[in-house]
Amino acid sequence: MTYDVIVIGGGLAGLTSAALLAKAGRRVLVLEQRDVLGGLHSTDEIAPGVRGDAAAHDIGWIPSSVMKTLGLDERALALVRPDPSAVSLLPGGSTLTLWTDPARTASELQRHSPSDARAWRGFGERVARLAGFLQAIYEGPAPEPLASGATELLSMLGLGRKVRSLGSDGIIDLLRTLPMSVADVLDETFEHPALKGLVAASGVARLVQGPRSGATAFLLVHHHVGAPPGAIGSRLIARGGLGALAHALAESARAAGAEIRTGSAVTQIVVSEDGVKGVVLAGGDEITASTLLSTLDPRRTLLDLIDPIYIDPELSQAVGAVKYRGACAKVNLVLDGLPALSEELLRGALVVAPDMGYLERAFDAAKYGAISDRPYLEARIPTLHDASLAPTGRHVMSVLVQWVPYRLRDASWDGTRREALGDLVVDTLGDVLPGFRERVIAGQVLTPRDIEDRYGATEGSLTHGELTLDQVLFMRPVPGLSRHATPTPGLYLAGPGTHPGSSIASAARAAAVMGASKRRPFSRPRGDRAPLTR
Amino acid sequence: MKNGRVDAIVIGAGHNGLICAAYLARAGKKVLVLERRHLVGGAAVTEEIVPGFKFSEFSYVVSLLRPEIIRELDLPGHGLQILPLESTVTPMPDGNYLAAWGDHDETRRELYRHSPLDADAYDEFGILMHHMAHAVKPIIGMMPPDPTSLSPKELLSLGKLGGHMRSLGARKFYALHKLMTMSSADYLDEWFETDVLKATKSASGIIGTFMGPRSPGSAYVLLHHYMGEIDGAFRAWGFQKGGTGGVSDAIAGAARRFGAEIKLEAPVGRVMVKNGRASGVALENGDEYHADIVVSGLDPKRTFLKLVEERELPGDFVASIKRFKTRGSSGKVNLALSELPRLTCMQPENIARWGGVPIPPERYLRGAISISPTMDYVERAYDDAKHGSFSKRPYMDVVIPSMIDPGMAPPGQHVMSIFCQYAPFAIEGGWDDAKREAFGDAVIDALAVHAPNIKSAIIARQVLTPADIERITGLTEGNIFQGELALDQLFFLRPAPGYAKYRTPVDGFYQCGSGTHPGGGIMGASGRLAALTILGERT
Repeated sequence: MTYDVIVIGGGLAGLTSAALLAKAGRRVLVLEQRDVLGGLHSTDEIAPGVRGDAAAHDIGWIPSSVMKTLGLDERALALVRPDPSAVSLLPGGSTLTLWTDPARTASELQRHSPSDARAWRGFGERVARLAGFLQAIYEGPAPEPLASGATELLSMLGLGRKVRSLGSDGIIDLLRTLPMSVADVLDETFEHPALKGLVAASGVARLVQGPRSGATAFLLVHHHVGAPPGAIGSRLIARGGLGALAHALAESARAAGAEIRTGSAVTQIVVSEDGVKGVVLAGGDEITASTLLSTLDPRRTLLDLIDPIYIDPELSQAVGAVKYRGACAKVNLVLDGLPALSEELLRGALVVAPDMGYLERAFDAAKYGAISDRPYLEARIPTLHDASLAPTGRHVMSVLVQWVPYRLRDASWDGTRREALGDLVVDTLGDVLPGFRERVIAGQVLTPRDIEDRYGATEGSLTHGELTLDQVLFMRPVPGLSRHATPTPGLYLAGPGTHPGSSIASAARAAAVMGASKRRPFSRPRGDRAPLTR
Repeated sequence: MKNGRVDAIVIGAGHNGLICAAYLARAGKKVLVLERRHLVGGAAVTEEIVPGFKFSEFSYVVSLLRPEIIRELDLPGHGLQILPLESTVTPMPDGNYLAAWGDHDETRRELYRHSPLDADAYDEFGILMHHMAHAVKPIIGMMPPDPTSLSPKELLSLGKLGGHMRSLGARKFYALHKLMTMSSADYLDEWFETDVLKATKSASGIIGTFMGPRSPGSAYVLLHHYMGEIDGAFRAWGFQKGGTGGVSDAIAGAARRFGAEIKLEAPVGRVMVKNGRASGVALENGDEYHADIVVSGLDPKRTFLKLVEERELPGDFVASIKRFKTRGSSGKVNLALSELPRLTCMQPENIARWGGVPIPPERYLRGAISISPTMDYVERAYDDAKHGSFSKRPYMDVVIPSMIDPGMAPPGQHVMSIFCQYAPFAIEGGWDDAKREAFGDAVIDALAVHAPNIKSAIIARQVLTPADIERITGLTEGNIFQGELALDQLFFLRPAPGYAKYRTPVDGFYQCGSGTHPGGGIMGASGRLAALTILGERT
């Protein structure tokens, strides 16, 4: 059997691109190193008889064009948009809740701050407007300000039109807001500390920066691409865990003719002067193909899997300089019952970020290679959306702990430190969630290093590289590679480490570049690579 | 002159106000400058706070002053004389030190002692930053285009800007993008491995801002400070002979020579507006001066929220000005010294221990001493500030002007200027005398770690918190740039969208302070561009 395309990685990006390419008639083989599909978004057994989201536990955006092409809807993909979106667990056991319906949130805010309640709708509209603009960019190839040619000119003009459609106030707001700190944006808008803490969390989630750091407003907006207008803090989860989403995509890929092999780790990408030749698997088997799409992070792909003599030194330096910086550890807990909070609230993301100062201090510790004893937590209870994940009466709680350094300064990760981190999470939640501590009967701790070891993500970065202004658009992953093609003929990149920083959307972009798209000509800059950094 | 009429009134005799006045007078306008204090200069003044000791009280080094201004106003002819400040010594926690000299090869040799890799990278870094400064230079000198406008003129201007960017080529364009968006810590991490080198370099990325070296956006300020020019030589810093006030005196001299009148102790209370047009100003004592052109060199908040009645301004403009960030973050400690500081790390036996080349104190004390021993030290200084207190161990830029210009202090004695960061204006509970002295003590203690004789050498000290800077100079919140140099407050957003071209919502009323494009430092570009706008030479 020969293949037109080998896709490395059976995560959301790999499966999506496989489905799109197979649908376009390509013979596709997907190679996944683990026995389970989904990569960072897989659902694993975390204790006997209990399954949960292993690393990431929610996703932001699935372009509707992808769903349309694959003939899948949210239902087929097992997607759920929890409502409430986010619940802030405050000291003393009180809560502040963000609902997907801004009117409901506003009335909730009324009891905390009438002025914030009044400002809520406008803020939601503003974020939605800015996110809508990002989405418009994200749906196309990364803008390349230096590229020339009629196609580029037209696409830049198109972008200019999109910008102008924001109106002059919108343009100013866009240019002014993106480089700001999320703290400054929120200080301009709201007064209630708990509200600011909860919204700010969305501007620093999965990032090693605090709310006072520049350009965290960009990340806030980025996280709202694809969210319903006004649904601040809203993310998607999947019924049965994110692994269910991976399986739905895999099924779609298989139905279109793609072959998917698990337990097949790629140890080398074989390259010659003319380009890609194939891959070598862990067992030594070699599979040939002249087109390869890697959905591993750019460092793993370009620096670990390819003989360095085939990579331009300047490119390898640029790839080596990409900031990965895993920000989160994952603590999965098994509960023998629910904490004493209304079940409706428990269905949302449970956030420990009581104010921006708390977040800032939690971040401070990470700067010096330590973990704050008051960490920022985001917990989800997927069993409330699908009880089959655990035996009756049991629940799974997935907790992302931020900021947990990949490298501890004065220690290395070992069993004791993992256990201490688990205890810290239980204690922190126990302080704000009545009746929580007693419910915990088992747990699993994955440090950023564990996430790297298990899922292959460099430094445990859930986004395959930080989402900061110097690493997005034409800079993602590095200048010259933002259009998914690499200088090695036949080798393409996808995954959240590439434009636009989201697994499924990047896969759609890469598949389009590789010829899966029927649209032409302007939205398909095939082979039209931007200049390299030299 | 009382209740008189002139062509143009400039409010505030800071360097930008004076430059604006000089250009207007040079073009034949009858110009009156009104200054609240008893001397010109604003934050660029020299004062004899202790008898016999001249302090460059606030701003203490010069590098950014635009060469075309020096030329066009013939400032050397009016006393501008910049004495070069060539070296920087940074003491390290382990007793070692890092020195940078005016001589490139000497710096390279010193760096080699720390890291051969960094010594090599230093050359390339210097060349790149030089290119970056040149890449940004045309932008500094241009009127910010309005990206929202569709008028052919604005589109042309935007197109020119785009053309300029593309003409840089890929390598420089991407490097510039990184400089505009990265943190100085990350940016420097891409170049160097020596922590103390990165710490010292990153320090110039935080001066005057409320950011730490690890906050994205700080790399731009690094570049801003790289743009200094003296006689066309990039990156050079220097002292004005006789103190920074001498720069202001030179500009004032030029302005007077062109016929401008400068009135001291004449605090303006409000700008008079008739039918949406500026008609003059009223002093706090009620005296009125009339003119069709009124220019404010004060910061945007003071200009629009204190001098003009709110009803004369559009609501969204007032909202923009209110949210314009002016968080003061730095303080100043000025010392009169009976003797020179003895830096432990620079004693010959210590230098020998670390394998360095012995250097006489007369040499290294002519330069700056940077208290930035590690990147974490600088970052922790910021941590204190963002959580509401002054830095227990502040970053400090220490210079001894009397080493270069002996006239600054009595024979054998010295003046020391210590720029310290962070000292937030919005300190928890507000500034008071006790906190000011505690801050002064923290600064001296942090310096005494590296120069133990400093405490006994102090004859007198002046501690200036951001609250003091505001009280004395009028700079809102003591912000030395009249508004932070953050990406969301630069170019066409400085100080407010739609009003980045020195005009204001009131006809005939203009702004010329560093709260406008291109921003702070003793650069003078704002004053000049404002004057050219008023004269119709730039639109």
